[in-house]
Amino acid sequence: MSITEHDEERTEDRADDPAGDPIDRVYERVRETPVGRSIFRSPRRITPRDRAAGHWSNFLLHIYPVKIRRKELHFRYSWYLGVISMVLLGSLVASGVYLMFFYVPSPANAYTNIQTIQNEVPFGQYVRNVHRWSAHLMVLAVAAHMARVFYRGAYKAPREFNWVIGVMLLVLTLLMSFTGYLLPWDQLAFWAVTVGTEMASYVPIIGEPVKEMLLGGPTVDSSTLLRFYVLHVAVLPSVMVMVLMIHLWRWRKDAMFDQQAEDGDE
Amino acid sequence: MSDTVQRTGGDAAGESNGVPVELSARPRSVDGKRVLGVVPGKPAAGERKVIDRDDTVMVWPHLLVRHGVAAMATLLVVMVISVLFDAPLQSIANPQVTPNPEKAPWYFVALQELLSLFHPTVAGILVPGAIVIGLVALPYIDRSRFVQLRHRKVAVVTFTTFMVIWIILTLIGFMFRGPNWGWVWPWEEWHGVL
Repeated sequence: MSITEHDEERTEDRADDPAGDPIDRVYERVRETPVGRSIFRSPRRITPRDRAAGHWSNFLLHIYPVKIRRKELHFRYSWYLGVISMVLLGSLVASGVYLMFFYVPSPANAYTNIQTIQNEVPFGQYVRNVHRWSAHLMVLAVAAHMARVFYRGAYKAPREFNWVIGVMLLVLTLLMSFTGYLLPWDQLAFWAVTVGTEMASYVPIIGEPVKEMLLGGPTVDSSTLLRFYVLHVAVLPSVMVMVLMIHLWRWRKDAMFDQQAEDGDE
Repeated sequence: MSDTVQRTGGDAAGESNGVPVELSARPRSVDGKRVLGVVPGKPAAGERKVIDRDDTVMVWPHLLVRHGVAAMATLLVVMVISVLFDAPLQSIANPQVTPNPEKAPWYFVALQELLSLFHPTVAGILVPGAIVIGLVALPYIDRSRFVQLRHRKVAVVTFTTFMVIWIILTLIGFMFRGPNWGWVWPWEEWHGVL
Protein backbone atom coordinates (compact mmCIF):
# COMPACT_ATOMS: atom_id res chain seq x y z
CA MET A 1 0.00 0.00 0.00
CA SER A 2 1.58 3.17 -1.18
CA ILE A 3 0.96 5.42 1.77
CA THR A 4 2.81 3.03 4.05
CA GLU A 5 5.77 2.93 1.71
CA HIS A 6 5.71 6.66 1.47
CA ASP A 7 5.57 6.99 5.22
CA GLU A 8 8.59 4.73 5.55
CA GLU A 9 10.58 6.57 2.94
CA ARG A 10 10.15 9.69 4.99
CA THR A 11 12.53 8.35 7.59
CA GLU A 12 15.31 8.89 5.09
CA ASP A 13 13.96 11.82 3.08
CA ARG A 14 12.25 14.20 5.39
CA ALA A 15 11.98 16.84 2.70
CA ASP A 16 9.42 14.66 0.96
CA ASP A 17 6.62 16.21 2.90
CA PRO A 18 6.00 19.68 1.52
CA ALA A 19 3.70 20.49 4.40
CA GLY A 20 6.36 19.82 6.99
CA ASP A 21 8.64 22.76 6.62
CA PRO A 22 7.69 26.43 6.19
CA ILE A 23 10.43 27.04 3.62
CA ASP A 24 9.18 24.04 1.70
CA ARG A 25 5.67 25.43 1.82
CA VAL A 26 6.85 28.75 0.38
CA TYR A 27 8.77 26.92 -2.33
CA GLU A 28 5.70 24.90 -3.18
CA ARG A 29 3.60 28.09 -3.42
CA VAL A 30 6.18 29.74 -5.68
CA ARG A 31 6.17 26.74 -7.99
CA GLU A 32 2.42 27.00 -8.34
CA THR A 33 2.46 30.61 -9.56
CA PRO A 34 2.38 31.20 -13.33
CA VAL A 35 6.03 32.22 -13.25
CA GLY A 36 6.99 29.17 -11.19
CA ARG A 37 5.13 26.89 -13.56
CA SER A 38 6.92 28.49 -16.49
CA ILE A 39 10.31 27.79 -14.90
CA PHE A 40 9.74 24.22 -13.75
CA ARG A 41 8.45 22.09 -16.58
CA SER A 42 7.20 19.17 -14.55
CA PRO A 43 5.33 19.04 -11.27
CA ARG A 44 7.39 18.66 -8.16
CA ARG A 45 8.51 15.09 -7.70
CA ILE A 46 7.42 14.00 -4.28
CA THR A 47 6.97 10.27 -4.09
CA PRO A 48 9.99 7.96 -4.46
CA ARG A 49 8.45 6.66 -7.65
CA ASP A 50 8.21 10.15 -9.13
CA ARG A 51 11.76 10.89 -8.16
CA ALA A 52 13.08 7.63 -9.58
CA ALA A 53 11.28 8.43 -12.83
CA GLY A 54 12.87 11.89 -12.83
CA HIS A 55 16.32 10.45 -12.31
CA TRP A 56 15.73 7.78 -14.92
CA SER A 57 14.74 10.27 -17.59
CA ASN A 58 17.62 12.66 -16.94
CA PHE A 59 20.42 12.46 -19.48
CA LEU A 60 23.13 13.79 -17.19
CA LEU A 61 22.25 11.29 -14.48
CA HIS A 62 22.18 8.30 -16.77
CA ILE A 63 25.66 7.23 -15.72
CA TYR A 64 24.38 6.79 -12.18
CA PRO A 65 22.10 4.07 -10.88
CA VAL A 66 18.80 5.37 -9.50
CA LYS A 67 19.34 3.81 -6.13
CA ILE A 68 22.31 2.55 -4.22
CA ARG A 69 22.84 0.62 -1.03
CA ARG A 70 23.08 2.85 1.99
CA LYS A 71 26.44 1.42 3.07
CA GLU A 72 28.00 2.50 -0.22
CA LEU A 73 27.40 6.14 0.64
CA HIS A 74 29.92 6.18 3.41
CA PHE A 75 33.42 7.54 2.94
CA ARG A 76 34.93 4.44 4.48
CA TYR A 77 33.26 2.21 1.88
CA SER A 78 35.19 3.50 -1.13
CA TRP A 79 37.13 6.53 0.11
CA TYR A 80 35.50 8.07 -2.99
CA LEU A 81 38.63 7.16 -4.94
CA GLY A 82 36.73 6.31 -8.11
CA VAL A 83 35.04 9.66 -8.29
CA ILE A 84 38.30 11.38 -7.32
CA SER A 85 40.04 9.67 -10.26
CA MET A 86 37.21 10.82 -12.54
CA VAL A 87 37.50 14.40 -11.32
CA LEU A 88 41.25 14.36 -11.87
CA LEU A 89 40.68 13.04 -15.39
CA GLY A 90 38.31 15.94 -15.97
CA SER A 91 40.89 18.38 -14.64
CA LEU A 92 43.49 16.82 -16.96
CA VAL A 93 41.26 17.10 -20.02
CA ALA A 94 40.40 20.73 -19.28
CA SER A 95 43.98 21.83 -18.57
CA GLY A 96 45.34 19.64 -21.38
CA VAL A 97 43.10 21.17 -24.02
CA TYR A 98 44.22 24.63 -22.93
CA LEU A 99 47.88 23.64 -23.20
CA MET A 100 47.31 22.16 -26.67
CA PHE A 101 46.54 25.62 -28.02
CA PHE A 102 50.10 26.72 -27.33
CA TYR A 103 52.11 23.62 -28.07
CA VAL A 104 53.70 22.22 -31.23
CA PRO A 105 55.18 18.71 -30.90
CA SER A 106 58.53 19.19 -32.61
CA PRO A 107 61.98 19.38 -31.05
CA ALA A 108 62.42 22.87 -32.52
CA ASN A 109 59.27 24.25 -30.86
CA ALA A 110 58.26 22.09 -27.91
CA TYR A 111 60.65 23.44 -25.30
CA THR A 112 60.24 27.10 -26.22
CA ASN A 113 56.47 26.57 -26.31
CA ILE A 114 56.62 25.39 -22.71
CA GLN A 115 58.66 28.47 -21.80
CA THR A 116 56.12 30.67 -23.57
CA ILE A 117 53.27 28.90 -21.75
CA GLN A 118 55.01 29.55 -18.44
CA ASN A 119 56.01 33.14 -19.06
CA GLU A 120 53.55 34.70 -21.50
CA VAL A 121 50.34 32.71 -21.82
CA PRO A 122 47.67 33.91 -19.35
CA PHE A 123 47.54 31.46 -16.43
CA GLY A 124 49.92 29.29 -18.46
CA GLN A 125 52.17 28.35 -15.57
CA TYR A 126 49.17 27.63 -13.36
CA VAL A 127 47.44 25.48 -16.00
CA ARG A 128 50.63 23.57 -16.65
CA ASN A 129 50.99 22.98 -12.91
CA VAL A 130 47.39 21.76 -12.71
CA HIS A 131 48.03 19.37 -15.58
CA ARG A 132 51.20 17.96 -14.11
CA TRP A 133 50.04 17.57 -10.52
CA SER A 134 46.66 16.21 -11.57
CA ALA A 135 48.47 13.57 -13.62
CA HIS A 136 50.61 12.44 -10.69
CA LEU A 137 47.61 12.51 -8.36
CA MET A 138 45.57 10.50 -10.84
CA VAL A 139 48.16 7.71 -10.93
CA LEU A 140 48.02 7.65 -7.13
CA ALA A 141 44.22 7.82 -7.02
CA VAL A 142 43.72 5.03 -9.54
CA ALA A 143 46.22 2.78 -7.76
CA ALA A 144 44.62 3.55 -4.41
CA HIS A 145 41.18 2.89 -5.90
CA MET A 146 42.37 -0.54 -6.90
CA ALA A 147 43.75 -1.25 -3.44
CA ARG A 148 40.52 -0.09 -1.79
CA VAL A 149 38.41 -2.26 -4.07
CA PHE A 150 40.66 -5.19 -3.26
CA TYR A 151 40.42 -4.78 0.50
CA ARG A 152 36.65 -4.38 0.32
CA GLY A 153 36.36 -7.58 -1.67
CA ALA A 154 34.39 -5.60 -4.22
CA TYR A 155 35.99 -7.44 -7.13
CA LYS A 156 34.02 -10.58 -6.34
CA ALA A 157 31.05 -11.87 -8.31
CA PRO A 158 29.26 -10.36 -10.11
CA ARG A 159 31.96 -7.71 -10.52
CA GLU A 160 34.96 -9.79 -11.65
CA PHE A 161 35.04 -8.39 -15.14
CA ASN A 162 34.77 -4.82 -13.96
CA TRP A 163 37.95 -5.40 -11.96
CA VAL A 164 39.65 -6.56 -15.18
CA ILE A 165 38.47 -3.38 -16.91
CA GLY A 166 39.85 -1.47 -13.94
CA VAL A 167 43.28 -3.08 -14.43
CA MET A 168 43.14 -1.94 -18.07
CA LEU A 169 42.34 1.57 -16.91
CA LEU A 170 45.32 1.53 -14.54
CA VAL A 171 47.61 0.52 -17.41
CA LEU A 172 46.07 3.19 -19.64
CA THR A 173 46.58 5.79 -16.90
CA LEU A 174 50.27 4.86 -16.68
CA LEU A 175 50.64 5.05 -20.47
CA MET A 176 48.89 8.42 -20.57
CA SER A 177 51.18 9.75 -17.91
CA PHE A 178 54.27 8.29 -19.54
CA THR A 179 53.52 9.64 -23.03
CA GLY A 180 52.84 13.07 -21.53
CA TYR A 181 56.13 12.96 -19.67
CA LEU A 182 58.10 13.43 -22.90
CA LEU A 183 56.23 16.46 -24.21
CA PRO A 184 58.09 19.27 -22.37
CA TRP A 185 61.20 18.08 -24.23
CA ASP A 186 63.58 18.94 -21.42
CA GLN A 187 66.39 16.78 -20.05
CA LEU A 188 64.08 15.23 -17.46
CA ALA A 189 61.54 14.22 -20.11
CA PHE A 190 64.07 13.02 -22.65
CA TRP A 191 66.03 10.75 -20.35
CA ALA A 192 63.08 9.43 -18.36
CA VAL A 193 61.49 8.28 -21.60
CA THR A 194 64.81 6.89 -22.80
CA VAL A 195 65.06 4.79 -19.63
CA GLY A 196 61.38 3.85 -19.74
CA THR A 197 61.41 2.63 -23.32
CA GLU A 198 64.74 0.91 -22.74
CA MET A 199 62.89 -1.35 -20.29
CA ALA A 200 60.45 -2.39 -23.04
CA SER A 201 63.34 -3.69 -25.14
CA TYR A 202 64.07 -6.40 -22.55
CA VAL A 203 61.00 -8.31 -23.64
CA PRO A 204 62.24 -11.15 -25.87
CA ILE A 205 61.50 -11.16 -29.61
CA ILE A 206 58.84 -8.42 -29.64
CA GLY A 207 60.68 -6.08 -27.22
CA GLU A 208 62.98 -4.38 -29.69
CA PRO A 209 60.34 -3.98 -32.46
CA VAL A 210 57.84 -2.60 -29.95
CA LYS A 211 60.40 -0.11 -28.69
CA GLU A 212 61.26 1.01 -32.23
CA MET A 213 57.61 1.33 -33.08
CA LEU A 214 57.04 3.52 -30.03
CA LEU A 215 60.09 5.65 -30.67
CA GLY A 216 59.87 5.71 -34.46
CA GLY A 217 63.56 4.83 -34.57
CA PRO A 218 66.33 3.45 -32.39
CA THR A 219 66.45 6.49 -30.09
CA VAL A 220 64.19 9.25 -28.81
CA ASP A 221 63.94 11.94 -31.50
CA SER A 222 61.44 14.09 -33.39
CA SER A 223 59.31 11.15 -34.54
CA THR A 224 59.13 9.91 -30.94
CA LEU A 225 57.86 13.29 -29.84
CA LEU A 226 55.19 13.29 -32.54
CA ARG A 227 54.14 9.72 -31.79
CA PHE A 228 53.93 10.31 -28.05
CA TYR A 229 51.96 13.49 -28.67
CA VAL A 230 49.41 11.75 -30.88
CA LEU A 231 49.13 8.89 -28.41
CA HIS A 232 48.81 11.34 -25.53
CA VAL A 233 46.17 13.69 -26.95
CA ALA A 234 44.19 11.45 -29.30
CA VAL A 235 44.66 7.70 -29.17
CA LEU A 236 44.97 6.96 -25.46
CA PRO A 237 42.30 9.44 -24.31
CA SER A 238 39.78 7.97 -26.76
CA VAL A 239 40.58 4.44 -25.71
CA MET A 240 40.48 5.45 -22.07
CA VAL A 241 37.08 7.14 -22.36
CA MET A 242 35.65 4.09 -24.11
CA VAL A 243 36.98 1.67 -21.52
CA LEU A 244 35.90 4.02 -18.76
CA MET A 245 32.35 4.06 -20.15
CA ILE A 246 32.24 0.27 -19.89
CA HIS A 247 33.63 0.50 -16.34
CA LEU A 248 30.93 2.95 -15.28
CA TRP A 249 28.21 1.08 -17.13
CA ARG A 250 29.11 -2.12 -15.33
CA TRP A 251 29.25 -0.27 -12.05
CA ARG A 252 25.75 1.10 -12.60
CA LYS A 253 24.35 -2.21 -13.77
CA ASP A 254 25.85 -4.13 -10.86
CA ALA A 255 25.08 -1.51 -8.23
CA MET A 256 21.83 -3.14 -7.23
CA PHE A 257 23.17 -6.68 -7.16
CA ASP A 258 24.04 -7.94 -3.77
CA GLN A 259 27.40 -9.64 -3.66
CA GLN A 260 25.81 -12.34 -1.52
CA ALA A 261 28.78 -12.38 0.78
CA GLU A 262 28.70 -15.28 3.18
CA ASP A 263 29.98 -13.15 6.02
CA GLY A 264 28.01 -9.91 5.66
CA ASP A 265 30.54 -7.15 5.40
CA GLU A 266 32.99 -5.09 7.34
CA MET B 1 -5.91 2.61 4.09
CA SER B 2 -7.83 3.27 7.23
CA ASP B 3 -5.76 0.96 9.41
CA THR B 4 -2.63 2.70 8.24
CA VAL B 5 -3.93 6.09 9.11
CA GLN B 6 -5.56 4.99 12.30
CA ARG B 7 -2.48 3.06 13.35
CA THR B 8 -1.53 3.88 16.90
CA GLY B 9 1.54 3.08 18.90
CA GLY B 10 3.87 4.19 21.64
CA ASP B 11 2.91 7.81 21.70
CA ALA B 12 5.75 9.65 23.33
CA ALA B 13 4.26 13.06 24.00
CA GLY B 14 0.88 11.75 25.05
CA GLU B 15 -0.80 13.81 22.39
CA SER B 16 -4.18 13.05 20.87
CA ASN B 17 -3.61 9.32 20.81
CA GLY B 18 -5.37 7.60 17.96
CA VAL B 19 -7.10 10.74 16.78
CA PRO B 20 -6.15 11.75 13.25
CA VAL B 21 -4.55 15.16 13.09
CA GLU B 22 -4.93 17.35 10.06
CA LEU B 23 -1.84 17.37 7.87
CA SER B 24 -2.03 20.74 6.28
CA ALA B 25 -4.54 23.28 5.11
CA ARG B 26 -4.53 21.90 1.60
CA PRO B 27 -5.65 18.32 0.96
CA ARG B 28 -3.01 16.11 -0.46
CA SER B 29 -3.23 12.90 -2.37
CA VAL B 30 -0.98 9.92 -2.75
CA ASP B 31 -1.60 7.68 -5.74
CA GLY B 32 -4.96 9.27 -6.28
CA LYS B 33 -6.10 8.67 -2.70
CA ARG B 34 -6.73 11.56 -0.41
CA VAL B 35 -4.74 11.72 2.79
CA LEU B 36 -6.95 12.84 5.61
CA GLY B 37 -4.42 13.03 8.37
CA VAL B 38 -1.66 11.35 10.25
CA VAL B 39 -1.41 10.15 13.80
CA PRO B 40 1.48 11.61 15.77
CA GLY B 41 3.79 9.32 17.66
CA LYS B 42 5.86 6.33 16.75
CA PRO B 43 4.42 3.28 15.02
CA ALA B 44 4.08 0.07 16.99
CA ALA B 45 7.36 -1.79 17.37
CA GLY B 46 6.66 -4.37 14.69
CA GLU B 47 6.09 -1.77 12.02
CA ARG B 48 8.93 0.51 12.95
CA LYS B 49 11.37 1.23 10.17
CA VAL B 50 14.79 -0.14 11.03
CA ILE B 51 17.59 1.57 9.14
CA ASP B 52 19.65 -1.10 7.50
CA ARG B 53 22.95 -0.72 5.69
CA ASP B 54 21.68 -2.88 2.86
CA ASP B 55 18.69 -0.63 2.29
CA THR B 56 18.67 1.30 -0.91
CA VAL B 57 18.60 5.06 -1.01
CA MET B 58 18.12 7.45 -3.90
CA VAL B 59 21.36 8.39 -5.65
CA TRP B 60 20.06 11.93 -5.92
CA PRO B 61 20.58 13.56 -3.49
CA HIS B 62 22.38 11.14 -1.19
CA LEU B 63 25.27 10.00 -3.37
CA LEU B 64 25.49 12.95 -5.74
CA VAL B 65 25.88 15.45 -2.93
CA ARG B 66 28.76 13.43 -1.53
CA HIS B 67 30.33 13.12 -4.95
CA GLY B 68 30.00 16.87 -5.36
CA VAL B 69 31.84 17.45 -2.10
CA ALA B 70 34.53 14.91 -3.05
CA ALA B 71 34.96 16.64 -6.43
CA MET B 72 35.30 20.07 -4.87
CA ALA B 73 37.78 18.80 -2.28
CA THR B 74 39.87 17.15 -5.02
CA LEU B 75 39.91 20.29 -7.13
CA LEU B 76 40.81 22.37 -4.10
CA VAL B 77 43.82 20.14 -3.41
CA VAL B 78 44.93 20.37 -7.06
CA MET B 79 44.49 24.13 -6.96
CA VAL B 80 46.51 24.59 -3.77
CA ILE B 81 49.35 22.34 -4.96
CA SER B 82 49.41 24.13 -8.32
CA VAL B 83 49.59 27.55 -6.70
CA LEU B 84 52.34 26.49 -4.32
CA PHE B 85 54.55 24.33 -6.56
CA ASP B 86 55.61 24.86 -10.15
CA ALA B 87 55.96 21.91 -12.51
CA PRO B 88 59.65 21.16 -13.11
CA LEU B 89 61.29 22.28 -16.32
CA GLN B 90 64.96 21.51 -16.78
CA SER B 91 67.24 22.60 -19.62
CA ILE B 92 66.31 21.65 -23.19
CA ALA B 93 66.70 17.98 -24.16
CA ASN B 94 70.22 17.13 -25.23
CA PRO B 95 70.91 13.58 -26.47
CA GLN B 96 74.65 14.20 -25.96
CA VAL B 97 74.42 14.88 -22.22
CA THR B 98 73.20 11.92 -20.18
CA PRO B 99 72.21 12.94 -16.66
CA ASN B 100 73.46 10.85 -13.81
CA PRO B 101 71.38 9.26 -12.31
CA GLU B 102 69.09 8.58 -15.21
CA LYS B 103 65.65 7.96 -13.74
CA ALA B 104 62.36 6.72 -15.15
CA PRO B 105 59.13 8.48 -14.05
CA TRP B 106 58.35 7.63 -10.43
CA TYR B 107 55.65 5.05 -11.24
CA PHE B 108 58.17 2.98 -13.25
CA VAL B 109 61.05 3.49 -10.87
CA ALA B 110 60.26 0.28 -8.94
CA LEU B 111 60.80 -1.59 -12.19
CA GLN B 112 64.05 0.25 -12.74
CA GLU B 113 65.16 -0.65 -9.24
CA LEU B 114 64.31 -4.31 -9.93
CA LEU B 115 66.35 -4.15 -13.14
CA SER B 116 69.36 -3.03 -11.14
CA LEU B 117 68.96 -6.04 -8.86
CA PHE B 118 68.00 -8.91 -11.15
CA HIS B 119 68.56 -10.20 -14.64
CA PRO B 120 66.52 -8.25 -17.23
CA THR B 121 64.48 -11.36 -18.10
CA VAL B 122 63.30 -11.58 -14.50
CA ALA B 123 62.93 -7.90 -13.69
CA GLY B 124 61.85 -6.67 -17.09
CA ILE B 125 59.53 -9.45 -18.20
CA LEU B 126 58.61 -12.02 -15.57
CA VAL B 127 57.82 -9.63 -12.72
CA PRO B 128 55.78 -7.00 -14.63
CA GLY B 129 54.08 -9.74 -16.66
CA ALA B 130 53.22 -11.66 -13.50
CA ILE B 131 51.87 -8.50 -11.85
CA VAL B 132 49.51 -7.66 -14.71
CA ILE B 133 48.39 -11.27 -15.25
CA GLY B 134 48.01 -11.78 -11.51
CA LEU B 135 45.86 -8.67 -11.17
CA VAL B 136 43.66 -9.63 -14.11
CA ALA B 137 43.28 -13.20 -12.84
CA LEU B 138 42.68 -12.27 -9.20
CA PRO B 139 38.85 -12.33 -9.24
CA TYR B 140 38.88 -15.65 -11.07
CA ILE B 141 41.34 -17.26 -8.65
CA ASP B 142 39.75 -15.91 -5.49
CA ARG B 143 36.20 -17.23 -5.94
CA SER B 144 35.21 -17.31 -2.26
CA ARG B 145 32.13 -15.39 -1.20
CA PHE B 146 33.82 -13.82 1.81
CA VAL B 147 34.48 -10.11 1.96
CA GLN B 148 35.70 -9.58 5.50
CA LEU B 149 39.45 -9.32 5.81
CA ARG B 150 39.71 -11.98 8.51
CA HIS B 151 38.10 -14.55 6.22
CA ARG B 152 40.43 -13.81 3.30
CA LYS B 153 43.83 -14.12 4.93
CA VAL B 154 45.66 -15.68 1.98
CA ALA B 155 44.43 -13.11 -0.54
CA VAL B 156 44.97 -10.17 1.80
CA VAL B 157 48.45 -11.22 2.90
CA THR B 158 49.56 -11.90 -0.69
CA PHE B 159 48.21 -8.63 -2.04
CA THR B 160 49.56 -6.61 0.88
CA THR B 161 53.01 -8.20 0.60
CA PHE B 162 53.32 -7.36 -3.08
CA MET B 163 51.95 -3.88 -2.55
CA VAL B 164 54.37 -3.11 0.28
CA ILE B 165 57.33 -4.48 -1.70
CA TRP B 166 56.29 -2.34 -4.66
CA ILE B 167 55.98 0.79 -2.52
CA ILE B 168 59.38 0.16 -0.92
CA LEU B 169 61.02 -0.38 -4.34
CA THR B 170 59.42 2.82 -5.60
CA LEU B 171 60.66 4.79 -2.60
CA ILE B 172 64.16 3.34 -2.93
CA GLY B 173 64.34 4.08 -6.65
CA PHE B 174 62.85 7.53 -6.22
CA MET B 175 64.71 8.83 -3.18
CA PHE B 176 67.60 6.54 -2.29
CA ARG B 177 69.34 6.22 -5.65
CA GLY B 178 71.95 8.68 -6.86
CA PRO B 179 74.74 8.75 -9.44
CA ASN B 180 75.38 5.38 -11.12
CA TRP B 181 72.31 4.08 -9.28
CA GLY B 182 74.36 4.08 -6.08
CA TRP B 183 72.77 4.32 -2.66
CA VAL B 184 72.27 7.85 -1.28
CA TRP B 185 70.47 9.17 1.77
CA PRO B 186 67.70 11.52 0.68
CA TRP B 187 68.49 14.00 3.45
CA GLU B 188 72.07 14.31 2.19
CA GLU B 189 71.55 14.23 -1.58
CA TRP B 190 68.21 14.55 -3.32
CA HIS B 191 67.76 12.98 -6.74
CA GLY B 192 64.02 12.48 -6.94
CA VAL B 193 62.10 14.30 -9.65
CA LEU B 194 58.39 14.32 -10.36
